[in-house]
Amino acid sequence: MTKATDKLTAKKFWREVLKGFVIANPVFVLVLGLCPTLAVTVSLDNALGMGAGVIFVLMGSNLIISLIRKITPKLVRIPVYIVVIATFVTILSLVFEAYLPPLYESLGIYLALIVVNCIILGRAEAFASKNTIILSIADAIGIGIGFTISMLIVSFFREVLGTGQLTIFGRTLFSIPVLSESPLTFFIMPPGAFLVLGLLLALFRWLGVLKNE
Amino acid sequence: MQNNVKNNKEKRRGLIAVKILENKFYPLYFLIIIVFVAVSLVMVVNNVTRGKIIAERDAAIISQFKVIFSEIEDYKFREEYYEIYGDGDVIGYTFIATGQGYGGEISILVGINTDFTVKKITIITNTETPGLGAKITENFFTDQFAGLSSKDISITRNGGKIDAITGATISSRAVTDAVKSELEAKIEKIKGDN
Repeated sequence: MTKATDKLTAKKFWREVLKGFVIANPVFVLVLGLCPTLAVTVSLDNALGMGAGVIFVLMGSNLIISLIRKITPKLVRIPVYIVVIATFVTILSLVFEAYLPPLYESLGIYLALIVVNCIILGRAEAFASKNTIILSIADAIGIGIGFTISMLIVSFFREVLGTGQLTIFGRTLFSIPVLSESPLTFFIMPPGAFLVLGLLLALFRWLGVLKNE
Repeated sequence: MQNNVKNNKEKRRGLIAVKILENKFYPLYFLIIIVFVAVSLVMVVNNVTRGKIIAERDAAIISQFKVIFSEIEDYKFREEYYEIYGDGDVIGYTFIATGQGYGGEISILVGINTDFTVKKITIITNTETPGLGAKITENFFTDQFAGLSSKDISITRNGGKIDAITGATISSRAVTDAVKSELEAKIEKIKGDN
């Protein structure tokens, strides 16, 4: 491989990674994976744990699916993707339980729920099944980090408004004097999740419209 | 000449590949192979990690017991509860009580002294609302159980000695009721065993 093509692949690689942050942000633009975004975002810790899990699984599944894309029959591709994803999640959860019990504890049920996260299946179908391994991994990193960032934004508002403070890994970052004594618990509850996510979606839409004009 | 032979070989290999890919039953074979590989992988990983997972669970149980009985030396599983040994003698019992809270199941590790009063409880798992029901895990709530016998374990509104958490009566009541009923059942069982 010459230097020029090397540079070209590197450029393509970074474009795929950065794409997931804003222009193809899974939550705010593609509107995928809303279920975990709504359910998990009660605290920053949970959002981080879920994000890490999704990045791991997405990288694994994109890699394998891209690797077998040329020999996968169209007819059975969806079952094949689901088997690949489920295998990854099962292996990951077994390994976490054995070697990283604290992380396993904090991820809890969310780890198993990654199987049904439509972002993973969505990327398998829309990207990994049509692109090279390297680009698929770039896509996984980008989309995974974009998903994590989105969940962090939602959980930031929900945790701050709903508990009056912000904690990360058990350490309190800051605490708002009046709010922490009588927090707006509404935001921790499911309706609060819909409200915060809805407002953020509207904000992103609005920014998008502004940019296009 | 040599190039030609090579090209022919590649062509033939390509043709075989196409033949396999176009076989009517190829999707079926492919799916079977994928599932077989996936299941084997999971089996291997399961075998490798099983011992470690069991050891971790045991260690987690012991460390939970230590929170309640700091002087624990050994423990023995007795079907429905654990006997806790310290100084070579039984110093108490511990068991798990589960209650239905506001957000799902709550499991509580209850430690009792040999006179059947509560030594300490800790909430192992809960899915209660953070900032409200989840306060059941905090010491100000769980410490209230220390030293109580089963007749005193109910919330003050029902004539007991446990103050419910403001705004989280369902969670408080779930913990209290679960501890009370499980304790009463276990006292019978322990008395029967000895």
